Amino acid sequence: MQPDPTSNPESAKPPGVLSEPSQWVDEHGDYLFRFALARLRNPVLAEDAVQDTFLAALKGGRNFAGRSAERSWLTGILKNKIYDHFRKAGRETSFTDLQFYNDEDSDRFVAEGAGQGGWIHELGPQEWPNPGESLDNELFWRTYRDCSGKLSKNVAAVFNLREVDGLDSREICALLDISESNLWVMLHRARMALRRCMETNWFDKIK
Amino acid sequence: MNLWNRLRTTATALLPDCREASRVQSKLLDHPLPASRRFGLGLHLLVCKWCRRYGRQIRFLGHAARDHQDELLKSDCGLSPEARDRIKRRLRE
Repeated sequence: MQPDPTSNPESAKPPGVLSEPSQWVDEHGDYLFRFALARLRNPVLAEDAVQDTFLAALKGGRNFAGRSAERSWLTGILKNKIYDHFRKAGRETSFTDLQFYNDEDSDRFVAEGAGQGGWIHELGPQEWPNPGESLDNELFWRTYRDCSGKLSKNVAAVFNLREVDGLDSREICALLDISESNLWVMLHRARMALRRCMETNWFDKIK
Repeated sequence: MNLWNRLRTTATALLPDCREASRVQSKLLDHPLPASRRFGLGLHLLVCKWCRRYGRQIRFLGHAARDHQDELLKSDCGLSPEARDRIKRRLRE
Protein backbone atom coordinates (compact mmCIF):
# COMPACT_ATOMS: atom_id res chain seq x y z
CA MET A 1 0.00 0.00 0.00
CA GLN A 2 1.35 3.41 -0.95
CA PRO A 3 2.13 5.74 1.94
CA ASP A 4 -0.09 8.76 1.94
CA PRO A 5 2.15 11.65 0.83
CA THR A 6 0.02 14.27 2.52
CA SER A 7 0.48 12.62 5.89
CA ASN A 8 4.26 12.56 5.63
CA PRO A 9 5.72 15.78 7.09
CA GLU A 10 8.97 15.30 5.19
CA SER A 11 7.29 15.87 1.86
CA ALA A 12 6.10 19.25 3.09
CA LYS A 13 9.74 20.48 3.14
CA PRO A 14 10.51 22.47 0.00
CA PRO A 15 13.06 20.81 -2.25
CA GLY A 16 16.67 21.92 -1.82
CA VAL A 17 16.41 22.99 1.81
CA LEU A 18 19.64 22.38 3.63
CA SER A 19 20.17 19.68 6.16
CA GLU A 20 18.87 20.21 9.66
CA PRO A 21 20.09 23.47 11.17
CA SER A 22 21.21 21.69 14.31
CA GLN A 23 23.42 19.59 12.07
CA TRP A 24 25.06 22.71 10.74
CA VAL A 25 26.09 23.73 14.22
CA ASP A 26 27.75 20.39 14.78
CA GLU A 27 29.28 20.18 11.32
CA HIS A 28 30.46 23.76 10.85
CA GLY A 29 30.10 25.54 14.18
CA ASP A 30 33.65 25.04 15.40
CA TYR A 31 35.20 25.91 12.07
CA LEU A 32 33.19 29.10 11.72
CA PHE A 33 33.89 30.03 15.31
CA ARG A 34 37.65 29.65 14.82
CA PHE A 35 37.47 31.71 11.65
CA ALA A 36 35.56 34.47 13.41
CA LEU A 37 37.76 34.34 16.48
CA ALA A 38 40.90 34.70 14.38
CA ARG A 39 39.47 37.84 12.82
CA LEU A 40 37.64 39.42 15.72
CA ARG A 41 39.88 38.25 18.57
CA ASN A 42 36.89 38.22 20.88
CA PRO A 43 35.03 35.00 21.72
CA VAL A 44 31.72 36.76 22.44
CA LEU A 45 31.78 38.66 19.18
CA ALA A 46 32.83 35.50 17.41
CA GLU A 47 29.90 33.53 18.86
CA ASP A 48 27.49 36.29 17.82
CA ALA A 49 28.93 36.34 14.34
CA VAL A 50 28.50 32.57 14.04
CA GLN A 51 24.93 32.76 15.28
CA ASP A 52 24.10 35.58 12.89
CA THR A 53 25.62 33.56 10.09
CA PHE A 54 23.43 30.54 10.74
CA LEU A 55 20.33 32.70 11.07
CA ALA A 56 21.07 34.43 7.79
CA ALA A 57 21.76 31.09 6.15
CA LEU A 58 18.44 29.75 7.38
CA LYS A 59 16.64 32.59 5.68
CA GLY A 60 18.66 32.09 2.55
CA GLY A 61 17.88 28.40 2.07
CA ARG A 62 20.07 27.21 -0.77
CA ASN A 63 20.60 23.79 -2.24
CA PHE A 64 24.07 22.35 -2.08
CA ALA A 65 25.73 19.19 -3.10
CA GLY A 66 28.23 18.36 -0.47
CA ARG A 67 29.55 19.56 2.80
CA SER A 68 32.46 21.61 1.51
CA ALA A 69 30.24 23.72 -0.76
CA GLU A 70 27.96 24.30 2.20
CA ARG A 71 30.91 25.34 4.34
CA SER A 72 32.24 27.74 1.71
CA TRP A 73 28.86 29.36 1.46
CA LEU A 74 28.53 29.71 5.23
CA THR A 75 32.05 31.12 5.42
CA GLY A 76 31.09 33.69 2.81
CA ILE A 77 28.17 34.82 4.91
CA LEU A 78 30.38 34.90 7.99
CA LYS A 79 32.97 37.05 6.23
CA ASN A 80 30.31 39.60 5.42
CA LYS A 81 29.16 39.62 9.04
CA ILE A 82 32.75 40.24 10.08
CA TYR A 83 33.15 43.00 7.53
CA ASP A 84 29.92 44.61 8.81
CA HIS A 85 31.46 44.59 12.24
CA PHE A 86 34.64 46.24 10.97
CA ARG A 87 32.63 48.91 9.19
CA LYS A 88 30.82 49.79 12.37
CA ALA A 89 33.82 49.42 14.65
CA GLY A 90 36.08 51.47 12.40
CA ARG A 91 34.58 54.65 13.65
CA GLU A 92 34.76 53.69 17.29
CA THR A 93 38.06 51.87 17.68
CA SER A 94 41.24 53.42 16.56
CA PHE A 95 42.44 51.85 13.40
CA THR A 96 44.49 54.93 13.08
CA ASP A 97 46.23 54.51 16.40
CA LEU A 98 49.70 55.69 15.62
CA GLN A 99 51.27 54.48 18.80
CA PHE A 100 52.61 51.26 17.46
CA TYR A 101 53.68 52.66 14.15
CA ASN A 102 56.91 53.93 15.49
CA ASP A 103 59.01 50.89 16.09
CA GLU A 104 59.46 49.28 12.73
CA ASP A 105 62.31 47.09 13.85
CA SER A 106 64.29 50.27 14.61
CA ASP A 107 66.77 48.29 16.63
CA ARG A 108 67.86 46.43 13.51
CA PHE A 109 68.86 49.40 11.41
CA VAL A 110 72.00 51.45 11.86
CA ALA A 111 70.84 54.45 13.83
CA GLU A 112 73.35 57.07 12.83
CA GLY A 113 76.65 57.79 11.19
CA ALA A 114 78.03 55.86 8.27
CA GLY A 115 75.60 53.30 6.93
CA GLN A 116 72.65 54.97 8.62
CA GLY A 117 69.39 53.28 7.72
CA GLY A 118 71.11 50.10 6.62
CA TRP A 119 70.48 46.69 8.16
CA ILE A 120 72.89 45.94 10.98
CA HIS A 121 74.37 42.93 9.26
CA GLU A 122 74.13 40.32 11.98
CA LEU A 123 70.55 41.42 12.70
CA GLY A 124 69.40 41.68 9.13
CA PRO A 125 67.33 39.09 7.29
CA GLN A 126 69.12 35.77 7.33
CA GLU A 127 69.05 33.13 4.64
CA TRP A 128 66.02 30.83 4.73
CA PRO A 129 67.09 27.77 2.75
CA ASN A 130 64.19 25.97 1.05
CA PRO A 131 61.40 27.73 2.89
CA GLY A 132 58.79 25.88 0.85
CA GLU A 133 59.64 22.67 2.64
CA SER A 134 58.42 24.13 5.89
CA LEU A 135 54.91 24.42 4.51
CA ASP A 136 54.38 20.72 5.14
CA ASN A 137 55.45 20.97 8.73
CA GLU A 138 52.82 21.18 11.42
CA LEU A 139 55.19 22.95 13.80
CA PHE A 140 55.86 25.62 11.21
CA TRP A 141 52.16 26.38 11.14
CA ARG A 142 51.91 26.39 14.90
CA THR A 143 54.72 28.95 14.93
CA TYR A 144 52.99 30.97 12.23
CA ARG A 145 49.75 31.01 14.24
CA ASP A 146 51.62 32.08 17.36
CA CYS A 147 53.42 34.84 15.49
CA SER A 148 50.18 36.07 13.96
CA GLY A 149 48.68 36.04 17.42
CA LYS A 150 51.33 38.45 18.58
CA LEU A 151 50.31 41.09 16.07
CA SER A 152 48.05 43.68 17.56
CA LYS A 153 44.38 43.17 16.83
CA ASN A 154 44.06 45.92 14.25
CA VAL A 155 47.28 45.10 12.46
CA ALA A 156 46.30 41.44 12.31
CA ALA A 157 42.88 42.34 10.96
CA VAL A 158 44.41 44.38 8.16
CA PHE A 159 46.90 41.64 7.33
CA ASN A 160 44.10 39.07 7.09
CA LEU A 161 41.95 41.28 4.91
CA ARG A 162 44.81 41.88 2.53
CA GLU A 163 46.81 38.69 2.46
CA VAL A 164 44.23 36.03 3.28
CA ASP A 165 40.99 37.48 1.93
CA GLY A 166 42.75 39.23 -0.90
CA LEU A 167 40.82 42.49 -0.69
CA ASP A 168 42.60 45.30 -2.47
CA SER A 169 43.82 48.45 -0.75
CA ARG A 170 40.89 50.55 -1.80
CA GLU A 171 38.36 48.02 -0.51
CA ILE A 172 40.12 47.75 2.84
CA CYS A 173 40.33 51.52 3.24
CA ALA A 174 36.63 51.82 2.49
CA LEU A 175 35.77 49.04 4.90
CA LEU A 176 37.78 50.35 7.81
CA ASP A 177 37.47 54.04 7.00
CA ILE A 178 41.24 54.57 7.01
CA SER A 179 43.57 56.34 4.67
CA GLU A 180 45.86 54.58 2.22
CA SER A 181 48.90 55.71 4.14
CA ASN A 182 47.49 54.28 7.39
CA LEU A 183 46.91 51.05 5.54
CA TRP A 184 50.35 50.69 4.16
CA VAL A 185 51.97 51.51 7.46
CA MET A 186 49.93 48.78 9.15
CA LEU A 187 50.69 46.24 6.44
CA HIS A 188 54.37 47.11 6.58
CA ARG A 189 54.29 46.68 10.33
CA ALA A 190 52.54 43.32 10.04
CA ARG A 191 54.94 41.97 7.45
CA MET A 192 58.00 43.19 9.27
CA ALA A 193 56.93 41.79 12.63
CA LEU A 194 55.78 38.50 11.18
CA ARG A 195 58.99 38.04 9.23
CA ARG A 196 61.09 38.75 12.27
CA CYS A 197 59.07 36.46 14.50
CA MET A 198 59.18 33.59 11.99
CA GLU A 199 62.91 34.03 11.55
CA THR A 200 63.62 34.00 15.27
CA ASN A 201 61.23 31.22 16.17
CA TRP A 202 61.38 28.95 13.16
CA PHE A 203 63.99 29.52 10.51
CA ASP A 204 66.84 30.22 12.91
CA LYS A 205 65.90 27.16 14.92
CA ILE A 206 65.74 24.62 12.13
CA LYS A 207 69.25 25.34 10.94
CA MET B 1 55.83 71.17 -2.08
CA ASN B 2 58.82 73.44 -2.43
CA LEU B 3 61.84 72.61 -4.55
CA TRP B 4 64.04 71.47 -1.69
CA ASN B 5 61.44 69.00 -0.44
CA ARG B 6 60.90 67.78 -3.94
CA LEU B 7 64.63 67.16 -4.37
CA ARG B 8 64.80 65.34 -1.08
CA THR B 9 61.87 63.12 -1.93
CA THR B 10 63.39 62.24 -5.28
CA ALA B 11 66.73 61.49 -3.66
CA THR B 12 65.06 59.14 -1.21
CA ALA B 13 63.22 57.46 -4.04
CA LEU B 14 66.34 56.96 -6.12
CA LEU B 15 68.70 56.12 -3.28
CA PRO B 16 66.72 54.36 -0.60
CA ASP B 17 68.43 53.02 2.46
CA CYS B 18 67.43 49.60 3.78
CA ARG B 19 64.81 50.97 6.09
CA GLU B 20 63.20 52.84 3.20
CA ALA B 21 63.65 49.87 0.89
CA SER B 22 61.74 47.63 3.30
CA ARG B 23 58.84 50.07 3.25
CA VAL B 24 58.89 50.23 -0.53
CA GLN B 25 58.99 46.46 -0.91
CA SER B 26 55.97 46.15 1.31
CA LYS B 27 54.09 48.91 -0.48
CA LEU B 28 54.84 47.34 -3.83
CA LEU B 29 52.79 44.31 -2.79
CA ASP B 30 49.66 46.43 -2.54
CA HIS B 31 50.05 49.33 -4.87
CA PRO B 32 51.76 50.29 -8.08
CA LEU B 33 54.56 52.75 -7.44
CA PRO B 34 56.10 55.52 -9.51
CA ALA B 35 59.02 54.68 -11.73
CA SER B 36 61.52 56.60 -9.59
CA ARG B 37 60.73 54.41 -6.58
CA ARG B 38 60.89 51.19 -8.53
CA PHE B 39 64.13 52.23 -10.15
CA GLY B 40 65.69 53.26 -6.84
CA LEU B 41 64.58 50.03 -5.22
CA GLY B 42 65.95 47.99 -8.08
CA LEU B 43 69.33 49.65 -7.78
CA HIS B 44 69.40 49.06 -4.05
CA LEU B 45 68.46 45.42 -4.43
CA LEU B 46 71.31 44.89 -6.87
CA VAL B 47 73.77 45.58 -4.12
CA CYS B 48 71.95 44.59 -0.94
CA LYS B 49 71.45 40.93 -0.24
CA TRP B 50 69.65 41.61 3.06
CA CYS B 51 66.95 43.59 1.32
CA ARG B 52 66.68 40.95 -1.38
CA ARG B 53 66.06 38.39 1.33
CA TYR B 54 63.57 40.68 3.03
CA GLY B 55 61.51 40.96 -0.13
CA ARG B 56 61.56 37.22 -0.77
CA GLN B 57 60.62 36.47 2.79
CA ILE B 58 57.65 38.78 3.09
CA ARG B 59 56.31 37.51 -0.20
CA PHE B 60 56.79 33.93 0.93
CA LEU B 61 54.89 34.53 4.17
CA GLY B 62 52.08 36.31 2.34
CA HIS B 63 51.61 33.49 -0.15
CA ALA B 64 51.83 30.93 2.63
CA ALA B 65 48.91 32.58 4.42
CA ARG B 66 46.85 32.85 1.27
CA ASP B 67 47.42 29.27 0.18
CA HIS B 68 47.02 27.60 3.54
CA GLN B 69 44.15 29.34 5.22
CA ASP B 70 43.04 26.16 6.92
CA GLU B 71 46.37 25.82 8.66
CA LEU B 72 45.98 29.30 10.08
CA LEU B 73 42.66 28.34 11.61
CA LYS B 74 43.71 25.16 13.31
CA SER B 75 43.42 25.24 17.04
CA ASP B 76 42.01 23.33 19.95
CA CYS B 77 39.25 25.78 20.60
CA GLY B 78 35.75 25.68 19.32
CA LEU B 79 32.30 26.81 20.29
CA SER B 80 31.68 26.37 23.99
CA PRO B 81 28.94 23.86 24.83
CA GLU B 82 26.73 26.71 26.11
CA ALA B 83 27.18 28.68 22.90
CA ARG B 84 26.50 25.59 20.86
CA ASP B 85 23.21 24.92 22.66
CA ARG B 86 22.18 28.54 22.60
CA ILE B 87 22.67 28.77 18.85
CA LYS B 88 20.82 25.52 18.21
CA ARG B 89 17.91 26.79 20.23
CA ARG B 90 17.86 30.06 18.36
CA LEU B 91 17.80 28.25 15.05
CA ARG B 92 14.82 26.19 16.06
CA GLU B 93 12.72 29.24 16.81
